[in-house]
Amino acid sequence: MFELKNKKLFIFFLFICLIQLFYIFNFRSGFKYDVFKDPFSINSGVMYALPIEVIELKKIINDKNISKFNLSKKLQTDNLIYQRIIEYNYPNRFENSSKYFISYKNEEVDNNCKLDEIFIYLKLSKC
Amino acid sequence: MIYNNFCEKITFFLSLLILNNYFLISLEFPILFLKTNLIFIFSIILIFYFKHFLKNIPFKIFFIIILLISLGTPTLEWDPRSIWLFHAKRIFIENSIFSVKDNYAAFSHNDYPSLVPSLAASVAHLAGHWNEVFPKLAFSLMFLPPIIFINIYIKNYNYLIFLSLIFFFIGKYLFNGWADGLLAVYFTLSVFLMHKLISNNFNLEKKNLFLNLIAILFFVTLTLIKNEGLVLLVIIFLITFVLEFSNKSLKKNFKKIILLSISFIPIILWKYFCYTNSLGNDYINNSFLFNLELRANVLENYKLIFYFLFLNEKFLIALFIFLTSFFILKNNNLFKFVFLIALTYSLILFIVYLSTPYDFYFQLNSSATRTIKSISFLFGFFAIYNLSLKKNNLI
Repeated sequence: MFELKNKKLFIFFLFICLIQLFYIFNFRSGFKYDVFKDPFSINSGVMYALPIEVIELKKIINDKNISKFNLSKKLQTDNLIYQRIIEYNYPNRFENSSKYFISYKNEEVDNNCKLDEIFIYLKLSKC
Repeated sequence: MIYNNFCEKITFFLSLLILNNYFLISLEFPILFLKTNLIFIFSIILIFYFKHFLKNIPFKIFFIIILLISLGTPTLEWDPRSIWLFHAKRIFIENSIFSVKDNYAAFSHNDYPSLVPSLAASVAHLAGHWNEVFPKLAFSLMFLPPIIFINIYIKNYNYLIFLSLIFFFIGKYLFNGWADGLLAVYFTLSVFLMHKLISNNFNLEKKNLFLNLIAILFFVTLTLIKNEGLVLLVIIFLITFVLEFSNKSLKKNFKKIILLSISFIPIILWKYFCYTNSLGNDYINNSFLFNLELRANVLENYKLIFYFLFLNEKFLIALFIFLTSFFILKNNNLFKFVFLIALTYSLILFIVYLSTPYDFYFQLNSSATRTIKSISFLFGFFAIYNLSLKKNNLI
């Protein structure tokens, strides 16, 4: 009798755990099948986690082989964009004295800087 | 009994190797050592899975599911990205936990301890490159030692209730790269171990070498997860000290308390490193007293903190089952011990929120449900533990 009661309780709580796990997976996890298909690739999950400007900035930095870069005021004052740029681009670092100046495409740039290239969202200047 | 010893050993070696990974990186050992250490960790996990294959099957399956969910979850939120995985990335690239001394990206809280990021960095080393998804597995792996360990004391359907509490209180924090879930679980298990080793009446447990070593390993881990861990461990020691003193049994346990307090050494060394390199804490600075004084005189502030911390459905459920459990089955010593720890931590949370240098409302809104998680899980766990004690006629 006692064994049977234990078994029933065991099955009941097993069922509760499964429901909870399903709830976490389905409603709380932010699970993406695209990410799951290839979790070990270098850029896995990036498209879901980062603003498009940040991804473009990384591409610029990699293509141009830049190790230290400077950012416009607008990019620096937007906390979300700024912090994501810093994290995502590490070990390439933000440095105020760098000659590579990155700004939004439509932003005014100092006269001492020479435009290098315009991209979809950003532009690169040398100062 | 055999399975209990097995779980004890698995817990001990897993915790030891997780901490060893941190110490290897701290001492700047070559990457080969880190990879070997991680292979040992995975070997022990495999032993756990296959040595007693039919034991604890539900948890073994749940844990695999959690790892799979983790592998399909991008790192979206601020803390995992800007603190934990960013620190892990730095450790992975520089192979040192001390690279933060330049205080680059100060927003990422460079003074936070690096135990979990260092394990995430080693996971990345094993794969050979960095990305933002699979290093998060380290966070899930760190849940293994406490969850395996508790199976020694809580069994059968009670263990499923315990897992259900984990899913309810910790939930997505099991895999999404936040450290708050780990903090809650290690804090609760540290309280549990302190109770077992100091205020418990069973001498056999008190003299169990593995149990003492596991306690030290869990205490060290607790302090190295987050800054809050240090505060929580200080509270555990303080309340133990006060209760032992009031029960006039301090003399008997004094040596043990001193021995256990060696767990503070790694975090003291880390804090010394932060202090010598001017890696500050946002909360403890010149504005601490100023903010505290400014907000402490306004009753509305207390109401707001109370609202955000305690009028939270998970906390209320935890409190309800905790009180019900101890009302049904009286265990005054354990109740006093757990309740005083929770009360002290709550008071400290009030002080922290009153003195925050950030916007008061923003701070509460963004962190209260996470910070109260440790107390909620503590209450939930001890409610179940108390009931299982009665079932085994140990009260």
